[in-house]
Amino acid sequence: MSHDASANALETPTLFVPRRKQLFTGRRAIVASVFSSLLILGAIVAIFYVAPGGASVRYFFFNPQQMWESFTGNPAKGLSSVGAGIFTNIWMFCVCEVMVLLFGLLIAWVRMTTSAVLFPFRVLSTMYTDLFRGIPILLVIFMVGFGLPALGLGFISSQSPAVYGCISLTITYSAYVAEVFRAGINSVPNGQLLAARSLGLSSSATMKRVILPQAVRTVIPPLLNDFISMQKDTALVSTLGAIEATRAAQIYASTEFNFSGYVVASILFLLLTIPMTRFTDRLIAKDRVKRLAATR
Amino acid sequence: MSDVVLDLKSVTKRFDDNEVLRGVSLQLHRHEVVCLIGASGSGKSTLLRCANMLETIDGGDISLFGQSLSDPRIDPDLVRRNIGMVFQSYNLFPHLSVLENILLGPVFALKRKRSDVVDEAMTLLARIGLSERANEFPDRLSGGQQQRVAIVRSLAMQPALLLLDEVTSALDPTLIGEVLDLLRDLAHSGTTMLIATHEMGFAKDVANQVVYLDKGVLVEQGTPEQIFSNPQHEATRKFLERA
Amino acid sequence: MRSVRIALAAVLGASLLSAVSLSTAGAASSTQLATCKSTITSQEFKKGTLTVATDNPVYTPWFVDNKPSNGKGYESALVYEIAKVLGVSKSNVKWVSVPFDSSYTPGKKSFDFDINEISSTAERAKVVTFSQSYYDVDQSLVALKTNKIVTNHSPAELKTYQYGDQIGTTGLAYINKYIKPTKAARVYSTLDQAVAALQSGQIDAIAVDTPTGEYMAMAQIVDKNNKMLATQVGQFPSVGEHYGLLFEKNNPLAACINVAISTLRTNGTLSALTKKWLGIYTSVPALKP
Repeated sequence: MSHDASANALETPTLFVPRRKQLFTGRRAIVASVFSSLLILGAIVAIFYVAPGGASVRYFFFNPQQMWESFTGNPAKGLSSVGAGIFTNIWMFCVCEVMVLLFGLLIAWVRMTTSAVLFPFRVLSTMYTDLFRGIPILLVIFMVGFGLPALGLGFISSQSPAVYGCISLTITYSAYVAEVFRAGINSVPNGQLLAARSLGLSSSATMKRVILPQAVRTVIPPLLNDFISMQKDTALVSTLGAIEATRAAQIYASTEFNFSGYVVASILFLLLTIPMTRFTDRLIAKDRVKRLAATR
Repeated sequence: MSDVVLDLKSVTKRFDDNEVLRGVSLQLHRHEVVCLIGASGSGKSTLLRCANMLETIDGGDISLFGQSLSDPRIDPDLVRRNIGMVFQSYNLFPHLSVLENILLGPVFALKRKRSDVVDEAMTLLARIGLSERANEFPDRLSGGQQQRVAIVRSLAMQPALLLLDEVTSALDPTLIGEVLDLLRDLAHSGTTMLIATHEMGFAKDVANQVVYLDKGVLVEQGTPEQIFSNPQHEATRKFLERA
Repeated sequence: MRSVRIALAAVLGASLLSAVSLSTAGAASSTQLATCKSTITSQEFKKGTLTVATDNPVYTPWFVDNKPSNGKGYESALVYEIAKVLGVSKSNVKWVSVPFDSSYTPGKKSFDFDINEISSTAERAKVVTFSQSYYDVDQSLVALKTNKIVTNHSPAELKTYQYGDQIGTTGLAYINKYIKPTKAARVYSTLDQAVAALQSGQIDAIAVDTPTGEYMAMAQIVDKNNKMLATQVGQFPSVGEHYGLLFEKNNPLAACINVAISTLRTNGTLSALTKKWLGIYTSVPALKP
């Protein structure tokens, strides 16, 4: 070797992960992750068995017999069915989500207009979002659910508790969703608005063709968040007397002195929200694939 | 005088206390190309935006085809449908394909039948050599390609006047040429254009008139020869030396 | 409309009858009582203090003015009588507010017993311990005077109305078990909300124990001039429901409290309390579910 040893590269540098960290690479990483998952899961389950009150907690929350009875209900004992109750939640949030989308968008749109004619509406919609994001939803439910019927206004005052619940949820969540829309619309660069208006598009066509389609992407995650939260808040409508899943579980609990019905209700709610999050993830992924496919 | 397209009379524009345009008067005739030169912040962009009513003016008057834009009966959307505008940052619609970008104005502003416009749009794309990329999304195109699409998007509206706001400033130097070539092509075919630009060589080539703006004041106006070879004002001379 | 007069004597008689029928649990001997007096302190949750739980709000005539510690109302007065019998001074009775739902959750309870018109049932007794009955309860229906149910309440007609009730109550269980209405009864978190629903016409009737129903009709659901707006439609026949004090499962203290209740029944105190706090009604028509 004629090279000067003092120059550089005395030794070949090693590029491997240090030995003690090799547990976390390649196939070992998979084994390690499975192992750690089982360990944590096992620890959680163990708490229920090791704890002094473990047996009674397991009986109180996770008794299969009680869970089944609360799911199916038992008219002979005056027990409502949690499984049937969930359908009340389902139709409520299906209706509410559509209403909230429309109403929230309307409020966001009014807040963002610049026309002088709409000034009073702009002030109203600003007040609206401030007001209903501030008032606890339970109070809105009470005011609507006990207030409207007390007015004695025929049709308006003779609806079922679930309808008043829907009205309350729509009122409150529209305020949140309007802000989500507004943030989404504001996230679209101003140049997009300028370009669209320069083409002579009207303000509504600009909104519909240019701004909203772009805002939707930023809006979907927070919107979904609000929707999941609203799905759960349909349970609050029970305070108006509607027998939905959590209220059926509560009836079970107070009759049998056992909370297994609540666990059943939780599982049912999870079964509803998890597909919804998966669906949205897929929607976003599909949108990306579509855009990438077009580039071939 | 009937061929005056755009007529600015003593236009002033303020942003709060900052006076951006101070009594600018300028006429643009049919088939004429006018280049606005001047330092950044001299009011070039504002002048263009006032011309298609993206900004409101504080004083003076602007007329398009002899109709004052201050007239309350003026519909800004109609004004903009007759004026094309191209921006420094292209502002293509990222959620629409190249073709859809071009179709948007004719279909949703002019309410023309989509099938009629598609052929025209494809012809325009062929003119800039991007026919095969009609169905791609803008983010797959280079800056020069995007800016050419943006220009073609304006042309699809068949505007009487094209406003170009420093359309090469955001581009990589190697991509500027292809955009300027397209503009030269448009100038030769008689497109009426008002161009804010930093490209002095290009201005010399294509402009019928060159206008020098300094701090909102129209300092000097004339043919390219007059402005570039024999500027009358000290400010113009200094600006051209630096440029 | 068949109507059964329930005179005060009849109430007294019923109490006596139940005292006899429960004689196994009753008839406390004075030695038992003496033992209890000496052991009670060691059995209390907080030594030296009788910690008594109830919900908030609480309702007349079981409590008065939502203040359990004032000794007014049947249940409040009963607690102080029990304390007296066991030699616990009035100042050593401490009230804590415990929502109904948490009264029966598993684990250590932070009170000696809960008194809140809780029905003693076999299902519930699997997880908690109940004292013997301190009140045998019958259910009656309360409705606005203007409601059809006031005049039309044959067993078949009763099924057609919209009922509502507070969650976890004997009244709600009664509706679902015995009336079996065609429209699901609405279930509210508190009795006040059920009453609000009744007043706004959201529901036709509420099933509650007769004393509560009487109070509702006479004092709670009234207009500005204290004119009664509601009425007790009628009382259903007894189905053996009774209220018991709720203890943590197998709490040994329950035995001594039972001794105290037996003593109070034997010496006529229970009857006197019933007369004083629950004897406000004079006649309630009979109903059949």
